[in-house]
Amino acid sequence: MVTRSLSPSPSTPRLSLSPTTRFETLVLPHLDAAYSLARYLMRGADDARDATQEAMLKALKHVDQCRGEGARPWVLAIVRNTCRSMLGRRGGGDNDISFDETVHRSDDDSNHPEIELIRAADREAVHRALDQLPLAYREVVVLRELQGLSYKEIAEVAGVPVGTVMSRLARGRERLEQLLGAPGTKGGAR
Amino acid sequence: MSCEEIRKQVDARLHGELSEAETQRFDDHLVGCAECRGLLERRTALRETLKREMGSFEAPADLRKLLVTAARDAQVEVRAIRPIRPSAAWWIGVAAALAIVAIGSWQLGARRSDGALMSEVVLESHVRSLLGQHLTDVTSTDQHTVKPWFNGKLDFSPPVSDFVGQGYPLLGGRLEYLGGKQVAALVYERRKHLINVFLWPTAAGNSAGRASGSMNGYHLLHWTRPDFTYWIVSDLGEAELEEFSGLLQQTEARR
Repeated sequence: MVTRSLSPSPSTPRLSLSPTTRFETLVLPHLDAAYSLARYLMRGADDARDATQEAMLKALKHVDQCRGEGARPWVLAIVRNTCRSMLGRRGGGDNDISFDETVHRSDDDSNHPEIELIRAADREAVHRALDQLPLAYREVVVLRELQGLSYKEIAEVAGVPVGTVMSRLARGRERLEQLLGAPGTKGGAR
Repeated sequence: MSCEEIRKQVDARLHGELSEAETQRFDDHLVGCAECRGLLERRTALRETLKREMGSFEAPADLRKLLVTAARDAQVEVRAIRPIRPSAAWWIGVAAALAIVAIGSWQLGARRSDGALMSEVVLESHVRSLLGQHLTDVTSTDQHTVKPWFNGKLDFSPPVSDFVGQGYPLLGGRLEYLGGKQVAALVYERRKHLINVFLWPTAAGNSAGRASGSMNGYHLLHWTRPDFTYWIVSDLGEAELEEFSGLLQQTEARR
């Protein structure tokens, strides 16, 4: 029975697309990106799948909050937060970057990373080096280099100021450079 | 600018995230500093290597399938939780649920430019008219008041009939914007149940047949005549809605 006595609340959202349609058009196109981010953050296929599933179901539940133009960072933020809480529950201590806030950079000029090693690094070496990065650095590197987000978008996804994004990217990449270009090792240090 | 600052900014420089002034200062420093030029070169190499070797992963197919199913099932849950006193949120849920069922069961091919089915659009419009205060723009039971009201507001003159004698009094009409065009909405009532009739001129060469669907107490009827395209939505019983559509079609036939 339909009555017209329903008082419209001012916050009643405009009825537009249904949640399912929103999910299918706004969120699902970013599934591979979501899974890729999870793969890099969780460092394993099974964990990545679990995290992606949990994150995407969250996204479905809150799909009304997703805005078309910002869908990608919105989805990635949910994935990022889900991965972090899964890792946190596990208590691996991987979230802690304090030990690394000062990069173990060699000031010895003779010990420069070798550019040819950096250039020649293969997929396995790159993934191994990324796996060694502290989570806070790894996530900004992946969001930038793989997902192509701007610093501002990364700041929103990671919930930190743009200046922090910049310094974490700088440190993360410095660390990668050292891992991949360490002289005397082939394909990066382990 | 010091080498230490260059070290902090080198990645932002490569990523195009420095301001014009910062970029200028950065580049100025590099002219006179081989050390920092080497740094920039290494980071450029790193960037190329990462681009080449990081790679995306494809999500497992079964995960994709699971999510598609979950998205559809979510609607079933919305329908299942039916509060005794329907709230606005409930109606929105119903609209969403109906819209999905509409997509599933009405393959009418009437698509909006953005891909949503016309049945979805019509249902949303119906529920919206019940939710808000915007049921009618012109409130009159007199077809001779309602029909002229549309003049000048639409680029067509919708046929308007009153069926008060048959128990379907006209309540009024309003303008709607559906699927990218202005359409006429006529509102009828049957024992406190509201009926929305949406109509607009049939596009040339468009002659979809008659279709009907129902879900959760709502029924939709749709037909296309050479002159006008009709959509009818109501929570009225299916038999009565059929009767009502019969009345409409009879008046059409007489035109």
